[in-house]
Order: sequence, then structure tokens, then C-alpha cells
Amino acid sequence: MIEKPKIGVYICHCGINISSTVDVETVEEYALKLPNVEVARTYSYMCSDPGQALIKEDIKEHDLNRIIVASCSPRMHEPTFRKAIQEAGLNPYFLEMANIREQCSWVHQDMEEATAKAKKLITASVAKVRLLEALESTEVDAEPAALVIGAGIAGIQAALDIADAGFKTYLVEKTPSVGGRMAQLDKTFPPLDCSACILTPKMVDCASHPNIELLSYSEVEEINGYIGNFDVKVRKKARYVDFDKCTGCGDCATECRVADRFPSEFDEGMGKRSAIYLPFPQAVPAKYTIDPEHCLYLKRGKCGKGPKCQEVCGAGAINFEQEDEFVEFKVGAIIVAPGFDPFDPSRKPEYGYDDYPNVITGMEMERLVSASGPTGGKVLINNGEEEIEPKEVAFIKCVGSRDESVGNEYCSRVCCMYTAKQAHLIREKLPDAKIRIYYMDVRAFGKGYEEFYDRVRRENVRYIRGNPSEIFKRGNKLVVKVEDTLNSRPLEDEVDMVVLGVGLEPRAEMRQVMDLLRLSQSGDRFFLEAHPKLRPVDTATDGVYLAGCCQGPKDIPDTVAQAKGAASSAMIPLARGKVTIDAQVAEVNEATCRGCGFCVEICPYSAIEMVTVNRFGHEIEVARVNEALCKGCGSCSAACLSDSIQPKSFRDRQILPQIAALGVMK
Amino acid sequence: MDLDKLRETAAEVAAREDVKYLIGWKKGSYGYRVAPGFVEEAEGAAGLIFSPLCTANLATYLTLVEKLPLPRGQEPDKRKVALMVKGCDSRAVAQLLVEKGIHRDEVVVIGCPCPGMVDPDLLGEKYPETEEPAEVKWSDDGFIIVRDGEETAVPRDELLAEKCRLCRYPNPVISDIMLGDPVDTWDPAEDEGVSEVEDKDVDGRWAYWQEQFSNCIRCYSCRNVCPLCYCQDCILDRLNPTWVNRSVNFSENTAFNIARAFHLAGRCIECGECERVCPANIPLGKLNRKLAREVRDKYGFEPGLDPEAEPFQASFKPDDPEDFIL
Repeated sequence: MIEKPKIGVYICHCGINISSTVDVETVEEYALKLPNVEVARTYSYMCSDPGQALIKEDIKEHDLNRIIVASCSPRMHEPTFRKAIQEAGLNPYFLEMANIREQCSWVHQDMEEATAKAKKLITASVAKVRLLEALESTEVDAEPAALVIGAGIAGIQAALDIADAGFKTYLVEKTPSVGGRMAQLDKTFPPLDCSACILTPKMVDCASHPNIELLSYSEVEEINGYIGNFDVKVRKKARYVDFDKCTGCGDCATECRVADRFPSEFDEGMGKRSAIYLPFPQAVPAKYTIDPEHCLYLKRGKCGKGPKCQEVCGAGAINFEQEDEFVEFKVGAIIVAPGFDPFDPSRKPEYGYDDYPNVITGMEMERLVSASGPTGGKVLINNGEEEIEPKEVAFIKCVGSRDESVGNEYCSRVCCMYTAKQAHLIREKLPDAKIRIYYMDVRAFGKGYEEFYDRVRRENVRYIRGNPSEIFKRGNKLVVKVEDTLNSRPLEDEVDMVVLGVGLEPRAEMRQVMDLLRLSQSGDRFFLEAHPKLRPVDTATDGVYLAGCCQGPKDIPDTVAQAKGAASSAMIPLARGKVTIDAQVAEVNEATCRGCGFCVEICPYSAIEMVTVNRFGHEIEVARVNEALCKGCGSCSAACLSDSIQPKSFRDRQILPQIAALGVMK
Repeated sequence: MDLDKLRETAAEVAAREDVKYLIGWKKGSYGYRVAPGFVEEAEGAAGLIFSPLCTANLATYLTLVEKLPLPRGQEPDKRKVALMVKGCDSRAVAQLLVEKGIHRDEVVVIGCPCPGMVDPDLLGEKYPETEEPAEVKWSDDGFIIVRDGEETAVPRDELLAEKCRLCRYPNPVISDIMLGDPVDTWDPAEDEGVSEVEDKDVDGRWAYWQEQFSNCIRCYSCRNVCPLCYCQDCILDRLNPTWVNRSVNFSENTAFNIARAFHLAGRCIECGECERVCPANIPLGKLNRKLAREVRDKYGFEPGLDPEAEPFQASFKPDDPEDFIL
């Protein structure tokens, strides 16, 4: 039997947010006359404790079975009022929010018109609320384990935090070693800590932590499932070196027939490595890897009389027969931390990065000034005849940042400071060099940053306000052509070396992760967070969190802070051991579904799949919704030609009367 | 088209163990009439034809077939259906594959490269329908009408159907067996019909369609003949909610016709069957082609070319144009 609707309408003043434009008393009177409305009240803050109490008491006293709260957006307080009516014994989904704030009082000035609109919105809610169905949310177990993708400082920190809290953590890194970009840096601003000194202990920790399973030189192949229950498949790429046998002695790399021939990724191509290599001396794990692109034996099947590495390896660790392995496991939460790519200055040909060897990037400078770098920390240039110390060094900032012409309108946030830091390091090494920094603005916003910038300026580093238009060669010198915009003077400064302060870009391979997890990008192409202010580490996919530069350019402290934030968010389902599945999801009418799969294609959450069902002896395909993944967004419903899939609480038969009540339909 | 070759191939296919039946064209009961031929045994293939009168798009029979409840324990007949297709018909098959209306292993597609069909109305106007057997053949530069043993040559432009004048794909885009060599494609005519309506102002367009839709008798032939209208339960038949009221009046007719056209946007493969079967002579092709033009111009998409394509109505790209959104 269908019970008779008994509706309570609660109209909120929202302080004066609503009541200054909407005559709430008139609306209350009006609401009382609507069909099936038993009670109508106004209150200054309906979301407050006394406001909620008002509703609860009425439910009991008047035996209400449907509630309308006319206040703000459901995004704001729907959960609040659902909880309130549930506490009073009603099904939490017997609630309808009439948004008379964002969609009425805030956008109108005329009281009469706004009041009339508020009445209509409430009339529409009355038409819908009586048709709402009781829904039950469900709970499923959450696997107490996490996956962290990317083992730069963000991934390492997040993994360590989760593991320290006692949860199993899988840390997947694409390259042979953990460490990421931070491992390449020399000193870090502003207290000039040695990057390696503060990072390597964490790298070692994450490899030895009993709760962390480190999967280096591995890539995530497949992720299925939903928060609490992700099934992950990881490809462990063949190293051609027995992981357990390799002692990391390095004899193989020294003896390799093509030793020190190939540009080292770690040294930004300035140093060389062998075909079998350790990316850098402090690499974790300290296990060698054969690069199949360059190894003679793997590429041609022949390496002299036999591979030298195999010959010299005392541990017998070389194994050319090794194949990629797959590991599969289950996790409850995922942290995405793939990092960034430095901007490729070849895309700004006016700076001559491809043409002049003495034009280098900030990343290359990091390796050059590093004691572990290819020159042992000496800053040297080739003047055509010999290696000399440069006498004049120029830095250009905002290369590939704040630059519409390359499609990057954002500020990369680290270049101002790393340029200042590098200028300082060069000043230490070359006390007499003339150092100039060409800048658009100096953004020293962090703790201790402004002080550091001041210090560098006092170290005889000249800041020139201007964005160079061109770099060209004159004799042995590089000429920076620029206008000093503070005194409108055109300059042609002759220098020995130019460092391009390249910005940060989303990683080229980000697409893969996006497709795996159905993540979205913001306008700047970095990953989109669930809310720019209140949910900065969450994504639209429940159980997937962001850490580090994949969400936007960040310096190390911000990256670590976000990683810790992501870790703590990820631990919520893990610690609770359960996740609640919202009941307001889409449902398929299998009797009318024609099995075209449009909904499967259009679903932004991969929540729909095709299943084969038996219909009177025939096998037919129909769509089915995974309720744990569905967000009830309704995209599927819009794509469905036969109207066979609809979100609960937003079914056609529920929203059409609502629309009709607004007076736009007959 | 070599008819002996066609019948021989059809007989071979119909005789295959994994083929349930073959659908082709055969002579109708009188005059110019052509009927669909369902061939279950090899002998049946002898009656098959392929001529400029074979306008019907047989792909519609792939989804029209009713799956009757089977007695408990009885296995469904999972054998393939063989289907003869022209260029446009093959696009319907491709689009059905995109939409999983059928699966590739359920059909054998026999491609018939098509030099163009005659417009039955134009033909009937000049050479009226007769009770005696009559047929139309292709010649090198047009058609030959055969009546009472007499052959009359007619220039191609005089009788060519509108959909064929606009055709860009006379050769089947997918097939398992191709009958004969591909035909030379021709430069499709400018779609003046659509442009003319486009050029009218809003009131002019409204007046034009008002007149057209007022004639609609809501027989739903256009929907039923369409190879891509295959929902078992069409929303236009629903009562709760009632999207389109059953009464035949201008308002409901318009709702019906617009809903039908929009459900085919990015899916219609322009075979022109809806317009051919319309007893009220509503220029439905024009409506479909207008939407196809929008989809092509705005999104660079043409349906029914690639069976692996993402369905247009279910695809979304962040850089999709949206200048038409108010």
C-alpha cells in the first residue's frame, strides 16, 4: 500500500542570505496550502542544531514521511539533513532540497520576483518529494592495503606514512630506482640542505620497510574495482639481472663492451652510462638493470664472444632469459604520484637550446653543480677550444611558464627559487663571475623564500626585469637580447653561459594513469582534484588520491605536505575497514535495455558493464551498474535511447512532475 | 552485376552449415515490385536479383527478427544470417556492429557494389506501374526499362534516386564476400534540399516543417523500416512518462518526428528508407541529413564507416565544439 504523503517544508533564512531577498514568511504561508503539506516553518539557520531539532520533532509529532528543506545547494547540506531525518526514523532519501539560495536569493534582487520563484521551486519539490523511493546504502569491506604509483618524494613519503600506520603498501616505480626528480637535485632552497642527504634515508626506508612492497622498474597495467576493493595488475619489467643474486658491485657496468657510451638519464644526458647500469650510486634498490635498447646481446643477439657482464659477474646474476613478470594484488586505496616533466626548451627555439651547447636547462645545472654530477661539481663550459669556467652567467626565468605561446599559462612556482639557489651556488663556486637573472616577476612566497631572495641579491647577483627575446652567438659569446623594462633600455648582454629556468609540465605518460583510473585534467593539463579548496588531494574517483606535481607545480615542502595529506585520506577507508556505498545510483531496466553499450562508453566512472543474461532461452546482452562505482551523475541516462537506465531519485517519473510544477510543461 | 554469379554465391552461402538463412532481393508479385527474399536452402537462391529497383535496405531484418521464448532445454539457433548489402546498407551493418545490435560473428555480409537506384516515384510518374512483369537494368550511362519485351533507355539523371545522387559510399564499406568489382564512385551532388531549408529564417523553417509534420499520420513506418531503430521498447510507445501523446496533431507529430530524428543523429547512415516508405511524403531524409551534416561539420564524424568506432552519441572529448549551447 502506498502511504499518504505527509510533507514538512522547512524554509531557511540562512541568516539574511535568503531572507533579505525572499519573503520567507509569505513562502511559508504559501507552502502550507500545497497538497499534502502538513507543516511549514521558517528558521534562521535550519542547518544548526535547533533547526535540525525542529525537523526531528515535527517528524515525530506530525508523523511526517517526506521532508523538504528550502535552503542552500544540496551539495552543501544534503548530507546534514539526510542524517537528521534518519535520526528521526525516516529513510534518509525521503528528503528533497529546494535550492532557494544559490538558485534564487543570491542571483536576484527584486524581492517580489525572488519570493515568487522560491514558491515555484518549493512547489516543484512538493511534486517530486512524494514520488521519492526509500533507498538503502550498503557497506562493503575495504582491503587494508594501498597502492602508490610513482616513487619520487611524494610517492615515497605517502608510502612511508601509510606503511608506518600499519597498512601494507605497494610502491610502484617505473624506473629502476626510487628517488625521482628530487634525487637529481643538488641543494634545496632555502636552507640549502643537500637533497641527497635528506632523501636517501627515506629511499632506503621505503625499500626496507616491512609493510612496503617496492616494485621498481614496474608499471601498473590494469586497475579494476572501486574504493576499498581495487584489483591491481603490475608488470615487473625484465631487468635481465637476477634481483636476489645481484650484489650491486658494478663490475658488469665497468666491463660492458659498450661501457659509458649512452647518455645517463640521471645526469640529464651530460654524463654517460653503460648498457647495464645503476641509475646513480645511491640508487634504491642497488640492483643493476640491462637497458634492452642498447645492450648488444639483447639487440643483436651477439656481444663479442659472449656477454662480458655475464663473464665478470661473480654472483652469476645476469640472466638474458628473464621475462616480464606480472603481479596481482588487491588494495583499498590508491595514491597517484607520477610527478612532472621539465619543460622542453626546444619548443622555444629563440633561446637556441638545440643550437648552443652552453645554453642549458635548470635541471642540467642541478647536475652540473652537484658534487656527484658528471663534472664532480665543477661548473665548466666549452668555449670551442677548452673547458673553462664561465665568467658571465645568465639565468632566464619563466621558460615555458606563464607563456601562452607554448600553452602553459600557469606559474611553475619553483623556478624563481631554484634560479636564486643556483645563482647562489654559482656565486660560491665562481666568486668573480658576473651573474644576471632575467625575470618577469619574482615570486618568493614560501617560508624563508623572500629572505633567501634578498640574500642572493646581496651576493652581487643582478636581477634585470625583462623577458629575453632571443639568444644568439657572437664570436665565442652568447648574446642575450632583452629590454630592461624598468628603464626601457634595450640590452644585448654578452655571456658565456645561459641557464634556462624551465618550468614544470604534466608528465607525458600521464595519459596512461588517466585512462587506468579515469581521472580528469584541469585546464592546465595537470590532474584535477575533487575540489580546488576543500578536497585538494581527492579525485572524482573515490579511493584515488593525488600527491605531488601531478596535480600542479609544487616545491618539495608542498609536495611532502600533500603526500602526507593524500596518505591520511587514503588511510580513512583502510582504517575503517569498510566503505559505504551511496544508494543514489543508476539502475538498468533490463527488460527494455537494447544492449547498445552507449552508457558503458559514456560513463565517466567505468561503473557500467555489459553482462549476458538469459531471456527465455536466448542469450542477450544488457547493461549493469556497479553500484560501488556509480556516482549517480546521470550521463548514462542522457545517452540511453530507450530510457532504460536512470538514476534513482532522479527517474523521469520523479523529475518530470517536478519540471511540470515549475510551469514549463503542460 | 552478373546475376548468375550472384545466385551461385548465394546458393553456396545458403547451403553453408553455419548459415541460418540468407536475405536478398527477389522479384515482387507484379510490375516493378521487388520483395525481400529469405533463402534457407540453396535452391531458393535462383530467384534472387540485384537491380536498380532493389532500394530496400535489408539490414533492418537483422534486428527486426523476434526472439520468441524457447521451450525449456531447447538451444537457440545461433547460426549466422547472410545478408546482401549495397553501399548504404553496409553502413547500417557497420553501425549496428558499433552499437552491438548484432555481432560480427552473427552475420555474413555479401557486398553488392551499387551503381545507383531508381527513384520509384519518378519511375512511376513517367513509366506507370503495371500489372505485367517489368524490370529496370543498368546500362553504361543510365537505366534500361524493360516492359512488355520492349527496352527503353533512360538517362541516369532522369531517374536516379535522391539518396543516390548524394551518395558518397556506393561500394560496401564492410563485407565478407564481394560480388563483382567496385563501381566507380561519383561526385555526390550538393545537398540543396538541406541548404534550402537552412537558408530560411526561423519562421520560414518553422512554417516549412509545420506543413510537413501536419501531414504525418503517425503510422510509424519510418521508425519500423529504419535499420537503426531497434529498441524492443521504443520510448515513443511508453505511457509513463508519456513522451509523445498518441493523438495525431501538429504538436505531437512534431514531437515524434523531432525525437526520431534526434535519436538518429550521428547514427543515421542515409539509406533513405524512412522517406521512401512514408505514406505522407514527409521529406524525412532532409531532416536526417541536416543532423548528419551538423555532426560531420562540427565533430568530423560519419557513422557506419568503422565497425570499431566509438559510438558518436556516447563519445565526449574535452575540446568538442559547444558554441551552439546557449
